[in-house]
Amino acid sequence: MQIFTTKEKDTLVLEVKGRLDAVTSPKLEEESQAWIDQGEKAMVMDLGGVDYISSAGLRTILILARKLNGMGGKIRFCGLKGMVQEVFSISGFTSLFPVFPSLTEALGHS
Amino acid sequence: MFFRQRTGLAIKLTSLIMASAGLIFILTLLFNFFFLKKTYIAQARETAKFLSESKAQKVRLILARAEGVAATLAPIVASGTHTKAELNQFLKEAVKNNPEISAMAVAFEPSTYKPGLHYFAPYVYRQGDTIKSSYLGSDWYNYFNWRWYEIPKDQNRALWSEPYHEPTSENIVITYSAPFYKQGLGQGNFQGVVAASISLEWLQDIVALAKIFDHGYAFLLSHHGIFITVPQKEWSMNQNINFVATLTDNPELKKIGQKMIDGEEGFVRTRDFLHNQDSWLYFAPFPVRGFSMGIVIPEQELFAGLYRLSQHLSAICLAGLLFLVSVAVLISRKITRPISLLDRSAAAIAEGNMDVVLPKPASGDEIGSLTHSFAEMQDALKEYIANLAATTAAKERIESELKIARSIQMNFLPKKFPPLPAGEFVEISAVLEPAREVGGDLYDYFVVNDRHLFFMVGDVSDKGVPAALFMAVTKTLLKGLTEVGLEPAQIFAKVNRELASENDAMMFVTAFCGILDLETGELAYSNAGHNPPLLLRPGEEPRWLPLPKGFFLGVFDQTVYQTQRTTLHPHDLILAYTDGVVEAIDVHQNLYSNQRLISTVKGAPANSAEGLVKSVMTSVTAFSQGVPQADDITILALRFKGYKHHGQTLLTGKDSKF
Repeated sequence: MQIFTTKEKDTLVLEVKGRLDAVTSPKLEEESQAWIDQGEKAMVMDLGGVDYISSAGLRTILILARKLNGMGGKIRFCGLKGMVQEVFSISGFTSLFPVFPSLTEALGHS
Repeated sequence: MFFRQRTGLAIKLTSLIMASAGLIFILTLLFNFFFLKKTYIAQARETAKFLSESKAQKVRLILARAEGVAATLAPIVASGTHTKAELNQFLKEAVKNNPEISAMAVAFEPSTYKPGLHYFAPYVYRQGDTIKSSYLGSDWYNYFNWRWYEIPKDQNRALWSEPYHEPTSENIVITYSAPFYKQGLGQGNFQGVVAASISLEWLQDIVALAKIFDHGYAFLLSHHGIFITVPQKEWSMNQNINFVATLTDNPELKKIGQKMIDGEEGFVRTRDFLHNQDSWLYFAPFPVRGFSMGIVIPEQELFAGLYRLSQHLSAICLAGLLFLVSVAVLISRKITRPISLLDRSAAAIAEGNMDVVLPKPASGDEIGSLTHSFAEMQDALKEYIANLAATTAAKERIESELKIARSIQMNFLPKKFPPLPAGEFVEISAVLEPAREVGGDLYDYFVVNDRHLFFMVGDVSDKGVPAALFMAVTKTLLKGLTEVGLEPAQIFAKVNRELASENDAMMFVTAFCGILDLETGELAYSNAGHNPPLLLRPGEEPRWLPLPKGFFLGVFDQTVYQTQRTTLHPHDLILAYTDGVVEAIDVHQNLYSNQRLISTVKGAPANSAEGLVKSVMTSVTAFSQGVPQADDITILALRFKGYKHHGQTLLTGKDSKF
């Protein structure tokens, strides 16, 4: 798994690539925690490059969302496809979080 | 073993020193030997040359004296006025005063001394210690035809003759003849010669003195290659060097002979012709009639001193080497002793005795530093082993606890269903295979009342002990909160509230649960973010059970769940599972996938829940051959056998929740 971050105005874009499972999730959790510590409150997570997400990955996302919620922040998702989209849909994440087809649209709603 | 090693090191060191020293000694000895040999040869040549020259000088002096005597006498006798007695007196005086001269004569031409007198040649010779006189010339000894007379006469000059046997004494002599002429008239008026002979025996004595070592000898060769003087006396005037060379099968000698005849100087190694031994031969021209002198030096005697010296040197080297050995042995013992002691300690440590006391290093050298490092290593090892023992004990304890936990978890799940008489209407089979000792998957089923059967499959996020604890809580809650009359969605809502109330770890459960009405076949079910189960109806394609939306259990306490309904026909099969099935991977990182699940269930026995579970499990195991299981796997199959009639009882005391 790889994480690329860019800053779009006040929003931090986390572009995740590869597998998001029990092995890689701690890294995502660690990195996003570091951004939160630096004061980032608005995040867009681009999951277009993720081809697999396990329950551990979902849990990491939940933890991140809860932290951001607790401090008045926000997280949005975009680029979901294939298995990830399926999992988001089955698990109910789609109805729980703002999900957008593309990064542009996700940023447009900020 | 340790003694053998110590000796080994000492022997290695010693042999190395020995080999080096031995090599140096041998090279020195060899160099010395060959260098000295060259020197010996050069010295031998110098000695021979000196001898040869000194003998030549001596001979030349003597010959010059003889020449002088003859030359002095010649003009005196040429005056022609001397009486017989006077002439005899001259000759006697000359022979007496010159011990080298063996004989002298004044030989006149016929009728020169006195007309009519054919032979006139007063002759004085040495016999032993006495000097005798006589006259030469007779029919028997016609001196006019002898070379000592004839050649100076023909050549009009004084010269030495070839060696010849003196007819009067049988001695071999050479004769210097000085011609004399009628007073004042010079050449053309030849009157006779004054002859002085020198015995070759005397020459032999001088040459014989030019001898080097016991078996060395010298010889003279004429310019014809005939031996003049040689220790083998019978060869004198007799034997040719070429013939001797052929006789002794020594072609080299022939070449040397030729060089001597040609008047060359040289020093060569060859076999000598007297003793047939390896020798060195010096040859140089000799100042008499183109003679050549040869001096033979036997090699064995020449090098005797060298051999002796080499023997002594070798003995000294050997003694030195022996001394070196003892020193080397002592030193290597001294060096290897602390190593051996350390080695002994190391062996003890290797056997597990960590408390062995290391030898005290005597000095601050490498061995001392090694001992110091070794002591540090020993301490580190001790600490490490203590840590390891503690860690191992802890690990073993944890493993044993995990084993127990697994056994508890497995016993915690229902194994045999259904208890009669529910088994008449429903067959349920399930398997749970955790990825580690314990897992976060769960399944359960139980009869709620006479009509209703509850079943569920769930998956706690993550794996291992935390998941197992959460799973236990979830399962207990599910069973505890399920009451008669509650819809699946209501059950999930209650369980969710309980789980979400204290969940800082953000653990969650995906779950599917259903309540089957055995009298009508109606299945009420709800979903909490779980994979959709498959419905298998005989004669139809397998299809996914349409699921209502519903979020994971345990995250938000206000999550709303929905109940959906469908009706099962007799022989319908419901297959519920966790994502460990469809997300199992093979060696190429391919997912097992929903498609593969469908094709597997199509090929499975249609009339057995147990057969279906086994088919799917076998297929997943075969698919992920060689790849460690990443996630817990749970498969549950429920087969509706037929409608239950109202009034039939299902509950037994044991299996009832109430």
